[in-house]
Amino acid sequence: MDLIGAYEMSLLTTIAIAIIFALSLNLITGFCGQISLGHAAFYGVGAYITALLGKAGMALGPALFIAALATACAGLAVGIGALRVRDDFLAIMTMGVGFLFTGIVRQQDALGGEVGISAIPDHGLGRAGFMALCLAVAAGLALFSLYIKKSWMGFAFDSIADDEDTARMIGIDASRFKLAAFALGTGFAAIAGGLYTHNVGIINPDSFGFIESITVLAMVVVGGIGSVWGVIGAAIVLSMLPQWFQFIADYKLLLYGALLFAVMRFSPGGFAALIAGAVARLRRGRTVTS
Amino acid sequence: MDPQLLFELFVKGLVQGSIYALIAVGLTLVYGLLRILYIAHAGLFTLGGYCGVLVTNATGSFPLALAVAMVSVGLLGMVIYRLCYQPILDQPPYVALIASIGLYIALEEVYRLIFGPYGDSYDNPPFQEIVQVFGVGLKQAEIATMVATVVLLSILGLLAARTRVGIAWRATVTAPNMAESFGISILQVRYLNFFIGSALAGFAGVMVALLNNLAEPGMGAVPSYKALAIIVLGGLGSVRGTLVAALALGVIEAYGTIYLGALLDRDAIAFAFLIAVLMMRPKGLFARA
Amino acid sequence: MSTLLDVRDVTVRFGGVTAVENVGFAVQPGELLGLIGPNGAGKTTLMRAITGVVQPQAGAILLDGNDISDLPVHRRVRLGLGLSQQLVRPFASMTLVENVALAAGYGRTDGPLSALAGIGRSRELARARELLDLVGAGGAADAMPDNQPLGFLKRAEVARALALEPKVLLLDEPLAGLNQAEASLFADTIVQLNKEGLTVVLIEHNLGEVMRICSRLVVVDNGRKLSEGAPRKVMAEPAVRAAYLGVEAGDAAA
Repeated sequence: MDLIGAYEMSLLTTIAIAIIFALSLNLITGFCGQISLGHAAFYGVGAYITALLGKAGMALGPALFIAALATACAGLAVGIGALRVRDDFLAIMTMGVGFLFTGIVRQQDALGGEVGISAIPDHGLGRAGFMALCLAVAAGLALFSLYIKKSWMGFAFDSIADDEDTARMIGIDASRFKLAAFALGTGFAAIAGGLYTHNVGIINPDSFGFIESITVLAMVVVGGIGSVWGVIGAAIVLSMLPQWFQFIADYKLLLYGALLFAVMRFSPGGFAALIAGAVARLRRGRTVTS
Repeated sequence: MDPQLLFELFVKGLVQGSIYALIAVGLTLVYGLLRILYIAHAGLFTLGGYCGVLVTNATGSFPLALAVAMVSVGLLGMVIYRLCYQPILDQPPYVALIASIGLYIALEEVYRLIFGPYGDSYDNPPFQEIVQVFGVGLKQAEIATMVATVVLLSILGLLAARTRVGIAWRATVTAPNMAESFGISILQVRYLNFFIGSALAGFAGVMVALLNNLAEPGMGAVPSYKALAIIVLGGLGSVRGTLVAALALGVIEAYGTIYLGALLDRDAIAFAFLIAVLMMRPKGLFARA
Repeated sequence: MSTLLDVRDVTVRFGGVTAVENVGFAVQPGELLGLIGPNGAGKTTLMRAITGVVQPQAGAILLDGNDISDLPVHRRVRLGLGLSQQLVRPFASMTLVENVALAAGYGRTDGPLSALAGIGRSRELARARELLDLVGAGGAADAMPDNQPLGFLKRAEVARALALEPKVLLLDEPLAGLNQAEASLFADTIVQLNKEGLTVVLIEHNLGEVMRICSRLVVVDNGRKLSEGAPRKVMAEPAVRAAYLGVEAGDAAA
């Protein structure tokens, strides 16, 4: 069908993948309050596993599934390590995990070393089919995230994000909940990574480094930590901005940096807080008769 | 393995460790005082590097460049504190951390835009002669770096222990409210803190630009990430711990590249070390009780 | 009568300092026990050792005959140990009623998978409102913690602990920071809860109220147990008076 051209399909696919990636971090950092500066590592693990399985002849579906499962296990391992450290130490440790991932991958010829992996076999879905898949996964994760928020898991996450020690004092096994967040978040990041692999066709370690971790963190933070709609909105805006304005592409990093800083400095709750604040002011304005 | 080579690796490791120490100390000073991870520090390091190169090339005087770098970077550090950190001190810790990261990325890009992506070099780099120390060939600049680190940090230590300013600083760290009631201006202490930490980073930037004969926009990135690992290892807020951890890391990297190079690239070694230590001692090597 | 909470020979050391040394006492069901002592006596540390926040170097804690000494905090809580802390810590991102409801739903938060399966909160919210009314903080139920007066926050903290249906409730200085009238009222609430069958261990500085409401006292000073027994008898002992002399003399009941 010619309703959407190839360019638009490609754009939608890229945005969908960014949304999946951002929502996956939102589970860990937004819902459960665990700062991760190394999330791109799990994106990367998913990407590499999908690439290798694809080259070995596996179909997309099973490859993504295995990638997600394997990465979730890695995520659990990191999560278990992360249980021992708090706050700033956690941030730096996750940063370390990210550097460890790229550091190891760069040195392994089996993984393509510095150059990476290319010539990944086509997924066979066609451009429209692949786009539909990505959009479906993004929508699915969004719904799942909203469900979690309403559930008692989300309720428990809220308390852990606020004050982990006190959460324990009301009977919540904070460690297990944190691990659940890590497993879910890293698993979905792997799916995003696997889809990314097929979207671009070649992958190398540079795509999964610290800057990428910061980029996705920016989406979560600018959107509003924990707010599903805010994060989706930020993911859309931040991934589309360089496309909309070509000259912005050169300044992309400067924009990210400045945006991150400005949001933290002036509205730490992100866009979600800004909008909520504006809505509240509007409501007050209507009821108060001056 | 050839003992001479082992020794040489050790010495080179110490040189590298000294650089890490100069960067990391500024970070740990800020953390000890304000409990924020000051990643934007990396941007100040880079500015120091550019100052060193540009001023030396313009005036021919390296000492002048050094002074200009330290002072201007120190002042910029104070400005950054006032504009960027002071307003968000009462927010949860991740706010300052992420703001800092954003600021650093923006700074690096600004340098790229102003100075160009390819970097600048010294026209006539000083201190390049090789000197033999215990059979190891070191550039004068490398020796200067090590010596400078020891001297600067010792001065810092003396300042902290013996002078009124130093005592005021320590009081502000441990008991800010009491310090205030004794008439110590918390604001002045913080400004001084940022000035000193930033000036040290500027100094480190000049020396690194000299050692590599290159100042480029991204030069602050990797050393600063490692500096973060170092201050965690050294015990957040402990200058002595940071110095030890920095030197240790320099040496470990030197050996690690040889022995672990098949598995990890050089930069990842720092973090592998960090993670290993954190798993055993979740509060750092020299954590304060 | 079988002991409900048995604290045996607990010793807690931090670095070179011995905060608690060989302290033990037994709490019978239905008691309102007061744990008192001058500032720095080690009462809060002892409390934290009982709940599991702090690991003692020696000693054992038994709840209803079960040794809970090696269990993590959340497991002790689920076995029936309730705690309300001295420095109140409500969850800042939720209203007071939500704070209490989360605790009331402890059956739902047993593990991440079962928590994921549960989605309605109305029953727990209703129960939370009941509890907040019970402790006298019903009016502030829908408020966020950050602009509530301390009195309400303290009561909400107790309501949250009650929501866990504890067998024994440890209250760490619930009256601290309250003026005389408020303290008296809150103490009455505690008495009421106790009369309805809740076993309470009360750490308190406010000797006036302690003397009034507690059936038995345990006195610690400098990390050691000094005395235990009926309030008047204990306060008449010279050693106990000496420990308090110059600090609480004005507060002690005549």
